[in-house]
Amino acid sequence: MAGRRKIEKVAIANRGEVAVRIIRACQELGLKTVLLHSSPDTATIAYRLADETVCIGEAPSSASYLNIEANVQGALGAGADAIHPGFGFLSENADFAEAVENAGMVFVGPTPENIRLFGDKITAKAHVEAHGGPTIPGYRGKDQSLATLTEECERIGYPVICKAAAGGGGRGLKVIRDSKSAADLIASAQREAQSAFGSSIVFLEKYLDDAKHIEVQVFGDHSGHVFGLFERECSVQRRHQKIIEEALSPSLDEKMRNEICKTAVDLTAKAKYRGAGTVEFLLQGGKFYFMEVNTRLQVEHPVTELVMGVDLVKAQLLTAMGQPLAWPKIFQPRGHSIECRLYAENAYQGGIPSTGKLLATHWPHAPGRRFEVGFDPGDEITSFYDPMIAKIIVWDETRIRAIQKMKQTLRETVIFGVRTNIPLLQEILSHKDFVTGKMTTRFFETNFSKGVEAPSFSASENKMIQNLSARVSEGSAGGDNGTGPSEGNPWSFTWGRT
Amino acid sequence: MNWVEVEFQGQKYRVPAMKYQGRLWFHWQGETHVLELSTGARAKSGDKSSRQPGVIVAPMPGKITRVAVKKGEAVTQGQPLIVMEAMKMEYTLEADRDGKVEEVSAQTGAQVALGQILVRVGEK
Repeated sequence: MAGRRKIEKVAIANRGEVAVRIIRACQELGLKTVLLHSSPDTATIAYRLADETVCIGEAPSSASYLNIEANVQGALGAGADAIHPGFGFLSENADFAEAVENAGMVFVGPTPENIRLFGDKITAKAHVEAHGGPTIPGYRGKDQSLATLTEECERIGYPVICKAAAGGGGRGLKVIRDSKSAADLIASAQREAQSAFGSSIVFLEKYLDDAKHIEVQVFGDHSGHVFGLFERECSVQRRHQKIIEEALSPSLDEKMRNEICKTAVDLTAKAKYRGAGTVEFLLQGGKFYFMEVNTRLQVEHPVTELVMGVDLVKAQLLTAMGQPLAWPKIFQPRGHSIECRLYAENAYQGGIPSTGKLLATHWPHAPGRRFEVGFDPGDEITSFYDPMIAKIIVWDETRIRAIQKMKQTLRETVIFGVRTNIPLLQEILSHKDFVTGKMTTRFFETNFSKGVEAPSFSASENKMIQNLSARVSEGSAGGDNGTGPSEGNPWSFTWGRT
Repeated sequence: MNWVEVEFQGQKYRVPAMKYQGRLWFHWQGETHVLELSTGARAKSGDKSSRQPGVIVAPMPGKITRVAVKKGEAVTQGQPLIVMEAMKMEYTLEADRDGKVEEVSAQTGAQVALGQILVRVGEK
């Protein structure tokens, strides 16, 4: 994109904690905001925080957050001159980026060409191979029949991984371990891919099943310079969804770090990459392999922000306006940062989703603790969307100190109304393979597939609980969100003269 | 949420606690707990009705993406019966015992509510 482009009002095509993150960045830069939201998403922090709101459709993502026309029209109608897509939903959809630009607005993200090249995992690998990057053997053909795909599985050799060509993250991704289950799993991956990304095209790859997930944050500024902002490690994954991320990785020595970061910068610079992007690699047996480029802001961007001292969302907005960044030529990372994703699920029942109204929250603020929250008490965690309620990010001088800080922060965090994965996070953070930094993408499955055992109470604890129960009165979902009267709230009373 | 003062082993503690719709929520020793007020037992997520053997219910609200069995079919424990999608992830519901499928009330594409009965597996 050439030259400066004036932006005064930014539309946010997303929800949850990332919508809040973007709205705040805009407001700090003096930009007006318009939240494009689905009909049930009025009881959210983003809805209350945005300067304006436009309802773009019904609850199912396909009717709202994934609807290109509704988002573009909603933004135009509100007089926005730019759209920030956040992550997930339409953030990696080249047609959306193009539709936004064709409507005369600025897409806050990479160019449609960038998204097309890297968004399709098949052309992305071709680009990497053309530039001598390390890729994993697999099948990326056009023939998507079950017969061909299962045949290719045999050729590659099990285990094989089946992934959605159009997606990022864990959706539409299956590990196939034998010929018996191949057809079923491929069909399931195609369904998930169709539902999550609107395309059922999948590809196959040799599955590196004891690897570390290392990803490099890159950023292309307005002038075409691509910055390398070092790496994150996200090896703690359940069903290929990341749970805990950190920066930097405890697994790289200086030589490997320089090599992997240089590879990431080269690959994106060759594609004239603009804005925030992440180059994902798998590291196994001392070698790293290119996996994919996510052409957007990542969920785990805060850990990079904390060790690098940057604001990636503001950098995205400034770049969209054609303005330079106040970044140093050479970055020097400082300390260690860890992020935990808080999911609304029952840790004691194998992680089954736990939907419902948030009744109360207590976020224990302190230096080096950052809370990215999308919902307040009174808001509802619905089954329509991702079950992530918040992210907790800590920074400390060393990795061990950061782990200690995260554990203490989680101990003090209180969420009533929905169950969370905090008990699971605590066990992971205490596991010796995590503490020593030895965890691989197999870590979760090996150690936590059976879930977490609910603690039992001692006789004296039970007595305390009875005592406690007798002294607690019936509460209500508190919160200043205007969704209803707060009847039964013991704190609502009227001042009067005595 | 109130911070309630309680005594435990001779020491005073302030415990965040709340009662809501028959459940007691409280935060004790760094962990949040939920108990059913009627029984004092740890509250479970998902279907609130008591689990009956052979009755497969939706463990969360979601969409049925695949029905893998037909009425009258013999099934074995652990066999996939229903695939459903919730919060963008697929969940496979399996037979909890060997037996014969007596009833399939789930349909592909249907939205189902938490606790809704999807399949009944009769005794062998």
